[in-house]
Amino acid sequence: MIQKTKRNYTILTVVFTFLCIVWVYPIVTILLNSLKDTKSITTRDVFNLPNSKTFAGISNYVESITGMNFLRSFFFSLLISLTSVALILLCCSMAAWYVVRVNSLIAKIFYYLCIFSMVVPFQMVMFTLATTADRIKLNTPYNICVIYLGFGAGLAVFMFTGFVKSIPLEIEEAAMIDGCSPIQTYFKVLVPILKPTIISTAILETMWVWNDYLLPTLVLDIKKYRTIPMAIQYFRGSYGTVNMGAMMASIMIDIIPIIIMYLVCQKYIIEGVIAGAVKG
Amino acid sequence: MVGKTIKKYWPIFLLPTAAAFCIGFLWPFVWGIYLSFCQFTTVSKVTFVGFSNYAKIMLDNTFSHAFWLTVLFAILSSVIINVMAFLIALALTKKIKGTNVFRTIFFMPNLIGGIVLGYIWQTLLNGILMSLGQPLLALSATNGFWGMIILLSWQQIGYMMIIYIAGLNNVPGDLIEAAQVDGANSWQTLFRIKIPMIMPSVTICTFLTLTNGFKMFDQNLSLTGGDPQKASQLLALNIYDTFYARSGPQWKGIGQAKAVVFFLIVVVIALAQLRLTTSKEVQQ
Amino acid sequence: MKKAISVLVSAAMAVSMLAGTAATVSADEAAGKVYYLNFKPEADEAWQKLAAAYTEETGVPVSVVTAASGEYETTLMSEMGKSDAPTLFQVNGPVGLANWKDYCYDLTGSDIVGNLTSDAFALKDGDMIAGVAYVIESYGIIVNKALLEKAGYKLEDITGFDALKSIADDIQARKDELGVEGAFSCAGMDASSDWRFKTHLANLPIYYEYKADGIDNTDAIKGDFLDNYKAVFDLYITDSTCEGAELSAKTADDSRAEFADSKAVFYQNGSWEYSSLSETFSDDDLAMIPIYFGVDDENQGLCTGTENYWCVNNGASEEDIKATLDFINWCVTSETGTTAMANDMGFVIPFTTAQESPNLFVKQDAEYTAAGKTPVSWNFTTMPSEEWKNGVGSALTAYAAGTGEWDEVVSAFVDGWASEAALAG
Repeated sequence: MIQKTKRNYTILTVVFTFLCIVWVYPIVTILLNSLKDTKSITTRDVFNLPNSKTFAGISNYVESITGMNFLRSFFFSLLISLTSVALILLCCSMAAWYVVRVNSLIAKIFYYLCIFSMVVPFQMVMFTLATTADRIKLNTPYNICVIYLGFGAGLAVFMFTGFVKSIPLEIEEAAMIDGCSPIQTYFKVLVPILKPTIISTAILETMWVWNDYLLPTLVLDIKKYRTIPMAIQYFRGSYGTVNMGAMMASIMIDIIPIIIMYLVCQKYIIEGVIAGAVKG
Repeated sequence: MVGKTIKKYWPIFLLPTAAAFCIGFLWPFVWGIYLSFCQFTTVSKVTFVGFSNYAKIMLDNTFSHAFWLTVLFAILSSVIINVMAFLIALALTKKIKGTNVFRTIFFMPNLIGGIVLGYIWQTLLNGILMSLGQPLLALSATNGFWGMIILLSWQQIGYMMIIYIAGLNNVPGDLIEAAQVDGANSWQTLFRIKIPMIMPSVTICTFLTLTNGFKMFDQNLSLTGGDPQKASQLLALNIYDTFYARSGPQWKGIGQAKAVVFFLIVVVIALAQLRLTTSKEVQQ
Repeated sequence: MKKAISVLVSAAMAVSMLAGTAATVSADEAAGKVYYLNFKPEADEAWQKLAAAYTEETGVPVSVVTAASGEYETTLMSEMGKSDAPTLFQVNGPVGLANWKDYCYDLTGSDIVGNLTSDAFALKDGDMIAGVAYVIESYGIIVNKALLEKAGYKLEDITGFDALKSIADDIQARKDELGVEGAFSCAGMDASSDWRFKTHLANLPIYYEYKADGIDNTDAIKGDFLDNYKAVFDLYITDSTCEGAELSAKTADDSRAEFADSKAVFYQNGSWEYSSLSETFSDDDLAMIPIYFGVDDENQGLCTGTENYWCVNNGASEEDIKATLDFINWCVTSETGTTAMANDMGFVIPFTTAQESPNLFVKQDAEYTAAGKTPVSWNFTTMPSEEWKNGVGSALTAYAAGTGEWDEVVSAFVDGWASEAALAG
C-alpha cells in the first residue's frame, strides 16, 4: 500500500514537472524570440531557436528602450501604480474604519454603494468617466490616482470593512481613554492590526493598476503620457509596420519586474489572494 | 464612544474616499445611464431620444452574437478552469516533491496583464496553428474562441488553485482520519468529505471565473481583436467597438445602451450568486 | 509628532485633490496652440520634426499625435470628447465628412484655401468648405526592374493584365532559377495591412462600375467588375512568395521587406513607399505600373487621388483655430514646411507654393498622364464605412487562406455595401 502510494507520488511529480514546463513555455518562447532579429520573427519561425544568423543579442531591448520611449512609459506605469495604491490603502482603510464604527445613514449608504460599484463593468462608465476626468483635469499620471481611488474604492473598502468588523472595540476605546485622538488611534492602533489586510489589498490593487489598459488609454492625455500596456498596444500601430523584435523585448521588459516582485514577495501575494477570495 | 468621537472627523476619514468615489464612479454611472437615452458624439452636443437606442440594440445582430458567445465562453471557461484548478490543488496538497515550485509556477501567469498575455498567446498559437496547417486566429472564430479559453485557463488556473489549496488545507485532518478508520476509500473521502467541506471555495471560484469570463476585454482585444468579422467578439469588446470604432452619430448612444444592458446582466449574475451562497451557508 | 504627520497627510490628500482640479489652467492660452491628430503613421516622425521646427520659429506649441493603425476613428472619437480636443484632424472624404461635419470649421476665405491649385481639392459640405486635401498620392504595382530584366522581360512588355499574368506565371515557375521566392511579394492580410486590398485594390471595380454607369456615388453597388477583382487578387496570391494560409499574419512590412530583399519582383503599393524603397534601390531599378484590370488596359494610368483632408475643429477656441490655420498654411507655403512635406514625407501637395517632389513614382504618374493615359480616381472615399472595408477584408483573407469562398467576398462587397449605406442614411 505504502509502496504503491510512493510510486503514485513519483508519477505525479513527473506529470507535474511536465505540466510546469508547458506552463512556462509561452514566456520562454517570447524570451527566445526577443533575442532574434526582427525579420526572423515570423509566424513560421516562432519555434526556431535563435541561431548564429538570426541572433540579435540585446539589440531589440536597446531599440525598445531608446526608440519607443519605453522608459518613460515604465516610469509612468510605476508612478501611477505607486501613487494609486498608496492613496487607495490610506483613504479606504480610513473610510472603512469610519463606516464600521459610525452608525450613520450616510456611512451605510456609502458602504452599500461601494459594494454595488464592484459589480459594475467598466464599459458602463468608460466614456463618462473619461469625460469627467478630462473636465476636472485628472488626466495626468500625477493625479490619475484620484480616479483610481474612486473606481477602486469598492473592493478596498469592502475588504477593509470585513476585517475592521472583527477587531474588538475595546482596543480602540482603551487607546482613546489614554488620550489618543482618532487620528492617533488610527495610526497607532488600527494600522498595525490591519497590516495583513493592507498587504493583501495592496497586492490585489497593484496587479490591477499595473496591468490596466482601457482606463489609462481613455483617461490619460495621450499627447504626453503612455503606460506600458498602452505602449505595447501601440506597437500594432503604423500602417503595416509591426516591429516584432521591439515588441517581444517590450513584453519581456513588462514581465520581468513582475516576476521578480512575485518571487520576492510570493508569500504575501498568495496570502493576499486567499484573503481576497475569502472576503470577495 | 469610538463612533461618536470619530464621527466628527469625517472630513479626514470619509470625505477623501467619498469625494473620489463620486468623481470616479457615482457621477459617471448616473450620467452614463442618462446618456443611454441620448444621441451624442461628444458631450457638448447631446439630444434626448428616449428608448430608441435600446430598440436599436436588437437590430444590431453583432450584439446578440457577442452575447451568446460570451455566455458560452464564461460557462465553458469557468468549468475548465475550476476542474483543472481543483485537480491540481488536490494533487498539490498531497506530499509530493516540489509542491512549492509547482505552485509558484502555476500562479505566475496571473500577474501578467491582459494586453501582454494576448500578444504572447497570439504569437504562440499562430505558430502552432501554422505548423498544424490550420487557419490562423484572425481567420477562424472557432480557433480564436479556443485560443481565448486556453489563454484564460493559463492565466487563471493558478489563482483558483491557490483558493482551492487553502480550502483543502482547512479540511480538518481528524475528519479524514475518522473516515479512513471507518473504511472509506479515497474516492469516498473525496466526494463525501473533501468536496462538501470546500463548497465555499467552489462558489467563490465559480463566481470569480464567471464574472472574469463575462467581463473579459483586454485579452479579447489583443488576442483576436474580434476577427474575423467580429465573430470572436465578446460583449465588453462589442460595446467598446460600438462606442468608439463605429463612426456615425447614432452609435455612441447605442453603445451606452448596450453597456447598461451588460451591467444589468452582470448584476443578475451577482444576485443569483449571492442567493446561492447565502442558501448554502444556511445549510451548513 | 504622529499627530503632525497625520494632519500633514490628510492635508496633502486634500491639496492633491484640489490641485488636480485647479492647477492646470496655465499660461500661453492667449497665443493659441495646435493639436494635430495625424492619420499617417509612416509620416509621424517627419511631422514631429516639422512641429518642433514651427514651435521654434514662432513659439506656438504644436503637438502631433499619431493614431495606431486602424484606430484613427477610435482615437479621434475619444479625443474629440476631451476638453483639450484636436484642433486639426482629418477625414477621408465625403463619407468621413458626413460623421464629422458638425465639428468642421468653415475654411472659406482662409489663406490655405486660396493657395490650392484647384477648387476640386476643397472638400465641400453645401456652401461650406469643410476640409482641404493636403496630399495627392498614386499607387500601382511597384516593379523591381533589375529582376524583371534578369527574367528576360522589359517594362514595356507589360501592356495589360494578360501580359502581366503570363510574365508573373513564368517568373513564378522559374523562381528558383531566378533566385526569387515569388513573382509578387506576399499579400499581407494582417489587420494592420489589408487596406492594400480591401481599400486600394477594391477601388478598381468601383471605379469601372461608376465609369460605366456615369455616376460618382451609389447606395447599391452591383459588383459588375468583381470577376476582374478576383483575377487580380488570384494572381497576387498564387504567384506569391508565401502560401494563402499564411497571409492573415503577414503585414505590409513583411511584404516590403521581401521586395526590398529582391525576393519578389512585384509589390502593390503607393508613392508613399518611395522614401523607404529609395534607401535600397536606385531610381533606375524601380518603376510603378498601373494595376491592369483587364477592362481598359490601354488607357489606364496609375490610381491617383487623395483620401486625406484636413479639417479644423470648430469647437476649439478662437485663438487655437487661428493658430491652427496659421500652422497649416505655414506647412504648405514656407520653405521649411514645403521641403519637409516634399522630401521627408514624400508628399505631392496640391498647393501653388509646392516644391517639386523627388519622388520617382509621382514623376511617373505625370508621365503616364502626359502619355494620354487616364489616372484612376480614388473612389474609396465613397465606400460606405470602415465596417464595409473590414467586411471585405475579412472575406478576402478567408478566401486567400482557403477557408472561405469567393462568394463571400462578393456578398461582403455587394450586400455589405447596401446594408452599410442604409445604416449611414
